[in-house]
Amino acid sequence: MTDFADGSGTGGARVKGVTVIKPIIYGNVSKHFGKKRESDSHTHEWTVYLKPFLNEDMSNYVKKVQFKLHESYANPNRILFKPPYEVSETGWGEFEVQIKIHFNDGNERPITFYHMLKLFHTGNDSSTTTAMVQGRKTVVSENYDEIIFQDPTQYINTLLTTTRCLTLNAYKHETNFEERKAKTLESIKGGRSQVAEEIIELKEKLQLAKETIVKFKTELGKVNGQDKSEDMVF
Amino acid sequence: MASSADVREIMGLGPAGGTPEGGGGSMVTKEMILAMDRPRKSGKKEVAPKRPEGMARELYNLLYNDSKDAPPIVPTDSNRGLDQGYKSVKAKLGMRKVRPWKWMPFTNPARKDSLVLYHWRRGQDEGKEYPFAKFNKRLEMPTYTDMEYMNHLESDGWTREETDHLLDLCQRFDLRFPVIHDRYDRQTHKNRSIEDLKERYYGLCEKLEILHADPSKVSKPYVYDGEHERKRKRQLEKLYNRTPEEVEEEEMLKNELRKIEAKKREREKKTQDLQKLIAQADSTSTIKTDKKTQSSPSTPSNKKKSSSSQNKNAGGSKDINSMEAAGIKFPDQKSNPGVALRSQRMKLPPSVGQKKSKAIEQLLQELKVELQPMPTEEICSEFNELRSDLVLLYELKNALATCEVELQTCKMQYESLCPGKTLEIPDKLKPNPTLALIKGEKPRSISDVIDVVGAGATPPMRKRKAALEQSNVLKKIKNKNY
Repeated sequence: MTDFADGSGTGGARVKGVTVIKPIIYGNVSKHFGKKRESDSHTHEWTVYLKPFLNEDMSNYVKKVQFKLHESYANPNRILFKPPYEVSETGWGEFEVQIKIHFNDGNERPITFYHMLKLFHTGNDSSTTTAMVQGRKTVVSENYDEIIFQDPTQYINTLLTTTRCLTLNAYKHETNFEERKAKTLESIKGGRSQVAEEIIELKEKLQLAKETIVKFKTELGKVNGQDKSEDMVF
Repeated sequence: MASSADVREIMGLGPAGGTPEGGGGSMVTKEMILAMDRPRKSGKKEVAPKRPEGMARELYNLLYNDSKDAPPIVPTDSNRGLDQGYKSVKAKLGMRKVRPWKWMPFTNPARKDSLVLYHWRRGQDEGKEYPFAKFNKRLEMPTYTDMEYMNHLESDGWTREETDHLLDLCQRFDLRFPVIHDRYDRQTHKNRSIEDLKERYYGLCEKLEILHADPSKVSKPYVYDGEHERKRKRQLEKLYNRTPEEVEEEEMLKNELRKIEAKKREREKKTQDLQKLIAQADSTSTIKTDKKTQSSPSTPSNKKKSSSSQNKNAGGSKDINSMEAAGIKFPDQKSNPGVALRSQRMKLPPSVGQKKSKAIEQLLQELKVELQPMPTEEICSEFNELRSDLVLLYELKNALATCEVELQTCKMQYESLCPGKTLEIPDKLKPNPTLALIKGEKPRSISDVIDVVGAGATPPMRKRKAALEQSNVLKKIKNKNY
């Protein structure tokens, strides 16, 4: 009775205990013109994009991707229904791009996140890299994230598990995420062990401090006790 | 005309009925006013407007009260207590007959000279005894025989004559000791204080009471502690003779004391939390403690492996739970079905206050860990645990700072109470950065970055100074009490 043949009927039911993870890359590349354009004083051309980390066709489960640009752009809401999910523009300033992913199943709420458009390379920012593309310096600012489908609906679960390859060629990114991951993990684990050591140290100190306080208090108590007996009754 | 109409209205008279308009209408006679009490002719009865349908009775009452006055702007409390309020405006004067007063002579039985004086008195009280005579109480003075005095009442510095003189004065002045003291015969006897006199008198009474005790009834013993009284008076005198400066200083010291006590209470509260914290630290660092303290037969590499594997499988086990309880409680991610980004799971829950999150940020920078690392599953959980540990570290550090202040305070107090002696704070607890440097273990521990609560404004030196001041205050207060 409850099992309807069409997708919308069963699609609402969730597959318990299943977690599907889709790693994604989002970010932008930007290239300097080499000069300031006279007409609108734009200096860079850039492309903001969203793509899968793995070689797969996201359009299988993604209905559309919406890039919301700065309001000064004409028609700032750019909506893309199929890959590549990217918007190319020119400009002179950095701003935050809102990226919203809508899924093919209306029961799964769209997710929203932000990317700070990078035009200029700053030395200490680990998320940007410079690459030489077509002989010109290109700034790349890419981020890794993972879309987690917790207990997905049956409908989207099917879509998620039946993705095709995006390309038959080798699929790689501008940024070496494996290396970044290893480095990050190393620093965090290093930090953890250091912190754990200090926690032990502090804890021992604290224990000692507590014991010393008790000791001091009893000493004080003794002194005060003597004192009281010899002085004053009002 | 208009004025007479006003008067009529005020007096509650109807319009001057019958009189033709003219001079007559303006006359207000005494009869007219007196006639007010008589029931008014019912010709002009107030017609209360009907309550419109659907209007609440309460609302209607607000609009239309008896006199059709506008409802009061200011709330009245005339109905308070229902029967009281302003209703009984008039004083209730007695309706009884007046009782006459008479000028009459009287004698006071307390007097022995039968002097006759006169006073006003109610007629009905004539011949009754003077009411104040009963207040004339005579004291029963203790008496003693020569034998008794010889055997029991001899006292250092008191002769029989002086004792008799004292008792005589006591009798004459009804134990008004200041007067007795004033009239004391200093020519023949020593100069004595009130306390001396009292002590002698009550001492006598006590002894005689015991001697003459009537076994059938329980007597109340006289207790007079002369020494205590003398001390009390000295203290009172001292209190009275304080200069304004001294009063001021005392006031200041009292305030300081109050502050110190408040601080102490706060510290005690913190110390109570301490045990909890230590327990939490234990649960967090069990793995590491094992590694550090136990000289177990297994090889280091082996150990490391096991610890790291334990770390790894901590994902869902109870280990992580206890850790989260100690530091940051991240919301359970598995409970919410739907789509989410991994990076969202690294967001600090709102329960972590601004101060803590700022401390976390500082510590992460010190550890050279990105504030927003690449969110893979492993990094995410490691990162969250790291921050949880950092919060624990932060709390431990704060607790330790509290303890250090307390130790300093105790030390100062002790030193001020017993000059020349001191309490030795263990080296480990001394805020001594050079020591760590000499050891060369690490130039700087990360927890040093933590800005201890309240310490931002008071560096250790100042804190110690504050503790010193505090102990001085305590010392002064103690001296005051002498």
